[in-house]
Amino acid sequence: MALRTRAGSATKRRGLGRALGLAVAATLGATGAMARAAELGGGDGDVSLDVHGFVSQGAILSTGNNYLAKSKRGSLEFTEVGVNFTSQLTDRLRVGLQLFTHALGPVGNYEARADWFYLDYRWRDWFGIRAGRVKLPFGLYNETSDIDAARVAILLPQSVYPVSNRDFLLAQTGVEIYGYVDLRAAGALEYRLYGGTIYIDVSTNPAIKAVDVPYVAGGRAMWETPVPGLRLGGSVQALRLSFQFVPTMASSPASAGLSAVLGVGSAEFVRSNLTLAAEFAQWRVGIDAADLAVFPPGTKRITVSERGYVSATYHAARWLWPGAYYSVLFPDEADATFSGASNNMMHDFAGTLRFDINAYWLVKLEGHFMHGTAGLDSTLNDNRPVDVLTRNWAVFLAKTTAYF
Amino acid sequence: MRAVRLCALVVGLMAPWALHDAAPWAASGVSFRVVVNPSNPSSAVERRFLAEAFLKKTTRWPDGSTIRPVDLNGESSVRQRFSEDVVGRSVVAVKNYWQQIVFSGRDLPPPELDTDDDVVRYVAKHDGAIGYVSGAANVERVKIVTVR
Repeated sequence: MALRTRAGSATKRRGLGRALGLAVAATLGATGAMARAAELGGGDGDVSLDVHGFVSQGAILSTGNNYLAKSKRGSLEFTEVGVNFTSQLTDRLRVGLQLFTHALGPVGNYEARADWFYLDYRWRDWFGIRAGRVKLPFGLYNETSDIDAARVAILLPQSVYPVSNRDFLLAQTGVEIYGYVDLRAAGALEYRLYGGTIYIDVSTNPAIKAVDVPYVAGGRAMWETPVPGLRLGGSVQALRLSFQFVPTMASSPASAGLSAVLGVGSAEFVRSNLTLAAEFAQWRVGIDAADLAVFPPGTKRITVSERGYVSATYHAARWLWPGAYYSVLFPDEADATFSGASNNMMHDFAGTLRFDINAYWLVKLEGHFMHGTAGLDSTLNDNRPVDVLTRNWAVFLAKTTAYF
Repeated sequence: MRAVRLCALVVGLMAPWALHDAAPWAASGVSFRVVVNPSNPSSAVERRFLAEAFLKKTTRWPDGSTIRPVDLNGESSVRQRFSEDVVGRSVVAVKNYWQQIVFSGRDLPPPELDTDDDVVRYVAKHDGAIGYVSGAANVERVKIVTVR
């Protein structure tokens, strides 16, 4: 059986996004009774093509402040649709492509894109190379941050995995080397190193005229310790970004540059039905500009933020996964206190129930109690400054996902 | 200081569970045998090697040939037992692991087959294949290996 796909440039049109959604929905419908992902071909001598996909629809409601969308009135702008095609061409060579479209308030806007695509040559277990658009290995869960079925929580801890930074954090176009090294009695080490660039779409932001990312580079090392189920690791990402923008109250564009170094330490423990995780991150972001009118002397040019969370999930029954986490964000570590200004902290206490209806369909319910406003977007809140927004507030989410 | 507090909290949370391995629906009383293609020179495999092979972290036999793991389907009590005993995770946790791998484009899970006979047929047919079957399965066409 032959299947041909046209994977051209990710056209930025709503129409294509809807078409992708319909295509995946049709595929899901057609495969609803199947016991596993579609595998086309696969006979001896054939090159098989694995097809996987998902459709997610969520709802978000909040008190006090709008969060991620116009959530105070309730919002259904919370959709994710993806389909991927992977083929193992030889024992060592694999190719893959995922098409993805999503919307979460102002982010995504149902634009279809090639989420990832790559050629992957795994020469040995300890050395492989991928080229293409490859997801960034940052922390434990960045690569699966848009895959609802791969976790319990609806929203990953937003201090470490902010959806508003998805374009910066999800994938890079370039090269990655990776490997898995058996350390015998000391466990095993998984490493990833990458370098490339990032495409950032600024078409929805009229104040930004152009963005260029000369480089993004980084890596992740994960040590699988001799304690079964316990892995520890660290990730670093360095990014340089140049942009032209129109400053407030100005008519001509100005240029500026941004350098960021993001680091995160990670710990995860998986034993039978229990998963515990904790991560602590520090992001150092510096801004430089030749235009002194934009950044006059005395302007703070380097900001260090601190972020972290602890989480627990337990597979309590075949159909039930409860989970909870506490996440904290301090956008400026110099002023970080637990009782400080609202706009310099956000404490997020979250609880989730995931119900697996069957092997291809799940439903989730989630509640958050928030203390602080640091993660809020003033443009979603009538352009009111973040420091005057409601200090204690809550968010409720529901989401359903079908996948194969 | 905050990082230290965070680490202390994590260690405190993890400590009791490191000694506890309860699986409410573990397939107790079910046995399994690990089988390989008859051309495979191995007569025994280490448990850890087996776990890494089924998670595709290790993809080569010691002689350099490709490992081709094959699973029973997720409803199988034999798979549940194998998953808990060898991989150290529930079947659902393993499936969750593969969701993460598949949708981030890093690899594909082993094929899932419905019966012991299907597994035996697959292993007999493919060099480098490894699977597991129930204690009652007919394993004449494949080779049983010991798990150390």
